[in-house]
Amino acid sequence: MPTLVMITGYLICGLVGLLGIAILWLIFTGRIDLSRLISEPNGDASMGRFQFLIFTFVISLSLFLVIVSAKDGPAFPPSIPGGILTLLGISGSSYAVGKAIQFSDPAGIEDRPVTVTITPSTATVQYGQSLQFKADVVRKPDARLRWELTAGRGSITPDTGIYQAPPAQVPAPAGQPTIREHATIKVSCLDYVDVSDLAVINLA
Amino acid sequence: MPYLRQIVTWEVQLFLLGLFGIVVMQLLAGQISTKNLLYGRKNDTGELSAGADGKTHGRKKDDTLYFSPERVQLLLFTLGAAFYYLTQVLNNPNPGTFPPLPTSWPTLIGGSNAIYLGGKAYSRLSSGSGSSKKRRAERGEP
Repeated sequence: MPTLVMITGYLICGLVGLLGIAILWLIFTGRIDLSRLISEPNGDASMGRFQFLIFTFVISLSLFLVIVSAKDGPAFPPSIPGGILTLLGISGSSYAVGKAIQFSDPAGIEDRPVTVTITPSTATVQYGQSLQFKADVVRKPDARLRWELTAGRGSITPDTGIYQAPPAQVPAPAGQPTIREHATIKVSCLDYVDVSDLAVINLA
Repeated sequence: MPYLRQIVTWEVQLFLLGLFGIVVMQLLAGQISTKNLLYGRKNDTGELSAGADGKTHGRKKDDTLYFSPERVQLLLFTLGAAFYYLTQVLNNPNPGTFPPLPTSWPTLIGGSNAIYLGGKAYSRLSSGSGSSKKRRAERGEP
């Protein structure tokens, strides 16, 4: 019977361990998305949530250390000091009151949309030269982006946003003035529909 | 059984430290958004916005952000209290018990939270109802 208890104990221990590893792995790879862990619905980070997070970590780590450091083997502490409970209570109450203030006006809880902006929005690029464009994604900094050339000549790297201008200007027909060439690039957020921005390139 | 106890201890320790490490790493790398953590919002959507020339240029489409000292002091008090208590736990002279918290700490943290909430309430509620202004603006009313 003791052997069966021991085997069951090891099995449960192994399963819980695997579950823990799976959770950590999913968080690490982004399948469990923590990007808005301390954010309000409107996208702004919240000090109340941040404080709650810090205190939760500190108390859980302290509880663990207290349990394993007991003299006669791991044991739950006989009492939890009132100061700790008060601190957690203050943190929780502060979070709740903060929520109440926020809910007092609908603007505080509206979910602002994810936006993407190309920098620079207009640029002049010499023939044969390249230029790195950047995209600033608001409220989803780790969003996957795709760059594309929507008009004009040249090429752009879909993943990095480096635009390569064509090697030379197209010669104008005889008697016609040379036309200034333009190109347009677009960046799109792959995780969202209709979240994109355009930039205009003047070739010189 | 002592082995099993040791394994459980390691398991919980690794999980807690792993979770803590990932969260800290994602906070520092910007994967967990900390945008506007130290900024508050004035409830002024829909109010007339004036340009540098003093003339109005339509209505504000979003609340104005402002740097918030009340959030900074709350952040400092929170981090200070967290580090202080962790140090106390790690240097605990009575293993197996929680080290006592100085009686002044709840008062300090409570006061810090009260300042933060006061500032938040003032910025959200003092300008009147921004949403009603927004609705008025959408209807084209002054």
